[in-house]
Amino acid sequence: MGLSSRKAIHIPFPQAVPCSYILNMDDCLGNNPIACGKCAEVCEKKAINYDDRDEVITRDVGAVIVAIGLDVYDPTEMDEYGYSRFNNVITSMEFERLICAGGPTAGHFVRPSDSERPKRIGFIQCVGSRNPKIGRPYCSNICCMNTIKDTLLHEDHYPDVENVVFYQDIRAFGKSFEDMFQRSKQAGTRYIRGLPGDIEEDPETGNLTATVENTTSGKIERHELDMLVLSVGVIPPMDLLKISGMLTLSKTADGFFMESHPKLKPVDAPTRGVYFAGFCESPKDIKESVCQAGAAASKSSALLNAKQIQIEAITSRIDEQACAKCGLCAGICPYGAISWKKGEAAVVIEAACAGCGSCGATCRFGAITMRHFTDNQLMAQVQGVLAEKPEDKVFVFACNWCSYAGGDMAGISRIQYPASNRVVRTMCSARVSEEMVLEAFRCGAPVVLVSGCHYADCHYINANRQTVARVQRLWNTLEKAGVRPERLQLEWISAAEGQKFAKVMSQMEELRKTVTMDEMAHAREALKPKPKKTAKKEAAAAGAAT
Amino acid sequence: MAATRETFRCMMCGHEYEETVDKGEDKERSCPKCRSNSIRHLKKKKAAT
Repeated sequence: MGLSSRKAIHIPFPQAVPCSYILNMDDCLGNNPIACGKCAEVCEKKAINYDDRDEVITRDVGAVIVAIGLDVYDPTEMDEYGYSRFNNVITSMEFERLICAGGPTAGHFVRPSDSERPKRIGFIQCVGSRNPKIGRPYCSNICCMNTIKDTLLHEDHYPDVENVVFYQDIRAFGKSFEDMFQRSKQAGTRYIRGLPGDIEEDPETGNLTATVENTTSGKIERHELDMLVLSVGVIPPMDLLKISGMLTLSKTADGFFMESHPKLKPVDAPTRGVYFAGFCESPKDIKESVCQAGAAASKSSALLNAKQIQIEAITSRIDEQACAKCGLCAGICPYGAISWKKGEAAVVIEAACAGCGSCGATCRFGAITMRHFTDNQLMAQVQGVLAEKPEDKVFVFACNWCSYAGGDMAGISRIQYPASNRVVRTMCSARVSEEMVLEAFRCGAPVVLVSGCHYADCHYINANRQTVARVQRLWNTLEKAGVRPERLQLEWISAAEGQKFAKVMSQMEELRKTVTMDEMAHAREALKPKPKKTAKKEAAAAGAAT
Repeated sequence: MAATRETFRCMMCGHEYEETVDKGEDKERSCPKCRSNSIRHLKKKKAAT
């Protein structure tokens, strides 16, 4: 903010952990030769080494806790609030710095424009949060309580001030949070429901005017303010992408790391042995971050102290002889559990494989065996189910975790639906290969449904995106073969959606009734497998496709 | 972020619609009319601003 200068050697902020000094070599007078060196002279512990450099340290570890924190939203792009135009518009982080006893003004709260004490302060909530227009639709979780705390702090310092908070909703949901909110109101802070559309500045005085629609009264109001604080949201840290690539982690739509399961495994990453703590997983306050860090530490020590580690029984195995060395499987594995080098057969790292089976469905050479869900087993199920009166059946591939459980939910809830469906379970919808779907049509299935978890619920990071791509290709294949592509359907059904499962089954039954015997006979003929290319040619084609 | 107008068809009800798709977007699709997830991506259209 330009209110004071910082020495080249300093503690970043009073509550820094560890509370030790850092030396900013950009500001240091220099060490080659040493121009000042006074800090080294007075340091009794001899902890200052001017020649210290960044270095990469390699360590073998059994578990990784990702706690890379957050970045704060830069409100420059939201020009309506004038952050880059008006001196007296500051962010909540700058407010903290100004009112802090260790800050540039030793805790005396002054306006940046004239160093006078402001008496009317406005706080605007949700700056960079809950705003789909700027690509940040999520709630930052901490800003409401931070502002409430700031108003109490400010009124405690200066009882004569007027604080006005402009908000959409006040989310005071934690322990004692509502009490704190009520205290802020009792202390005199005004809460106005509505966010200002425009901020104007009086060039002579530097005062600001906020124009806002008070959605409680339905009136347009203008508020004269000495200073405005933008309660900025949080954003995923810059390093998130780099770490994500290193540890094969996936992200949610908000850009934060995706946990293994939102309820049952909230600190586990889908990659085994990796745990999350703090903001990098989702916006959360200190208390939640501490809880999550404790849980991550407990989980990792349980893993490290285990004498034996249980690995998934349902894993893939690659037949080295049959492998065409194309590397397609390595490219699509959500866990990075397949190791492949050009010209070499792919190898499954069994400890890392979670058993989604997407590699098995992708391999065109039958080189991958998915234990317990082999191609032969699944094909036999398809053929067995459709061996008699296929025209009366709706053939359903359901994933183990969601769609199949959704069917269970429909059953235990006694929800009625047509009995024409025949369900074949796979661990993930991504295990269903194009060949399996085509085989179902060849066997006379009038309708085939592929169902899996909703995008955010996929139990194998993002394996069900493979399902989408595969179904898109199948629609094209069916159309080219003169088979009505509508006969293949795709649905995401969660374990709790028994109603949806029943509704979809009813829709499938309606669709089944529209399929004629001629159509089924045509599909049997048109989808007959073509004579196989040689493995060499197919490998070349697969390589070109990547 | 680059965005394109894309055409989709619901394979359940036949509803055809256009939507702006951001590059690298990873979004679950459902038909705006019948909510089915059987959404077929038809073809790319000219780039949106």
